[in-house]
Amino acid sequence: MDDGSTQVEKASRTRVGDEDRGDDLPEWEVFLRGDEDAKMSHVGSVSAATAETAHEHASRLFGWFASDVWICPAGEMHRFSTHSLGPEGEDATPEDGTESRTMEF
Amino acid sequence: MISISKLLCDLDAEGDGLRYDAADESDKSQITEEKQRRPVVVWNTTKQCNLYCSHCYAGAESVAAPGELTTEEGKDLLDDLAEYGAPVVLFSGGEPLVREDLAELVSYADDQGIRPVLSTNGTLLNRERARELRDAGLKYAGVSVDGLPERNDEFRGQEGAFEAALNGIHACQDVGLKTGLRYTITEMNAPDLEGVVDLLSDEGVDRFCFYHLDYGGRGADISDVDLTPEKRREAVRRLCDMTREYHEKGEEIETLLVGNYADAGFLVEYAREELGEAQADRIYRYLRRNGGDPAGERVADVDYQGNVHLTQFWQGYSLGNVRDRSFGAIWEDESNPLLARLRERSEHLKGRCSDCQYQEICRGGSRLRALAVHDDPFAPDPQCYLKPDERVPSSSSPTPSD
Repeated sequence: MDDGSTQVEKASRTRVGDEDRGDDLPEWEVFLRGDEDAKMSHVGSVSAATAETAHEHASRLFGWFASDVWICPAGEMHRFSTHSLGPEGEDATPEDGTESRTMEF
Repeated sequence: MISISKLLCDLDAEGDGLRYDAADESDKSQITEEKQRRPVVVWNTTKQCNLYCSHCYAGAESVAAPGELTTEEGKDLLDDLAEYGAPVVLFSGGEPLVREDLAELVSYADDQGIRPVLSTNGTLLNRERARELRDAGLKYAGVSVDGLPERNDEFRGQEGAFEAALNGIHACQDVGLKTGLRYTITEMNAPDLEGVVDLLSDEGVDRFCFYHLDYGGRGADISDVDLTPEKRREAVRRLCDMTREYHEKGEEIETLLVGNYADAGFLVEYAREELGEAQADRIYRYLRRNGGDPAGERVADVDYQGNVHLTQFWQGYSLGNVRDRSFGAIWEDESNPLLARLRERSEHLKGRCSDCQYQEICRGGSRLRALAVHDDPFAPDPQCYLKPDERVPSSSSPTPSD
């Protein structure tokens, strides 16, 4: 029931891991605007060597309609989210670079 | 995934005839009137691998990559998948057995009601590890072998890999863990197909899963040694003949095809030629329920860093990341124009796919191969090997009935 309060619960977001998501190729976040009146929307990320090739890659995937494509290096995106996996504050990769979860062979 | 053995040799076994793609390990009854609602999820738990295979879609390396999901993150992901209703999780890699927490994750998936299955090169499987995984609830281990020993070892970048994989298969058999073969067909190893089946069936293997090469990761780099349409047709026909020959000898082997839904059309044509119109019609109806190529619908992939992909082979594009959004939210978000189009692809398929009589059971085949070769995710699959008179019905070849 509406009690007339104007207060809303504040979202609690934590920073999502910032490990480099590129492997052989850098990762690029892709944003599209369908036409001039539309809002820019995030539509995922592509692997590509450069911003230009990332744009070409995105054009092949979405090229049928978008009037604007923005490309941003995934490593430059700092993500803060109310959603999280695992205990808060735990780094996915220890600072010393060891991967204790994997075996030596 | 299309089961040759069930469709051609055991037509009355309706309850177990068709499988989800990427879930070759599942034994659950999967033919229903209702279409599969949730995807089988392939989870590449690590990028690290002890081998270096020339066709690896994940581009696996010998060292661990930064940012792999931790054990706790992995469990949260499995919670996420269970909540969304994913029926099967396929633990893959890299080589998933390099993760020390694999049994813990398998057990957790099983506890959450997701069927845990494994894709491995088999070389790190010993009896102790196989028992640990069996006890954790693992339902199936698919072991990759890509030719007779010499050719397999060359393909996999390590001498002795065939023997080590065979030892891994034996370890599974010894502890009662269901196992089978995964074989990616290329021009290089097509001549070994029958030899591998004969050799491994003598070793007690009775399940053989044949993958067509998809053009992702290092697989894209070797597309030049992919089979020609003629040789692909010949290889699939041989698998059909061989399956029936085994059946006629009273030696039951299960043979399955993955990754090219031109196979669906071919199987109907094969059945019409070899078994008659009624059987062809029946197979068509089964395949129609299976639904054709599953990318973006009945199969999904989560990579070692949590990026969600349209299939396990399509690693170059990610819909989003499970670290900052739940899997279900990412998978349901049809504001993504590519995802939306894939789910209504029959309206967008081009060229010869647009009027093919088998579109309903093929759905255009691999959209990744179309993208890789034609720069267009809705162009025809370059691996289609159906003949023109098979794609377009003639008066002597009636459209399968309802």
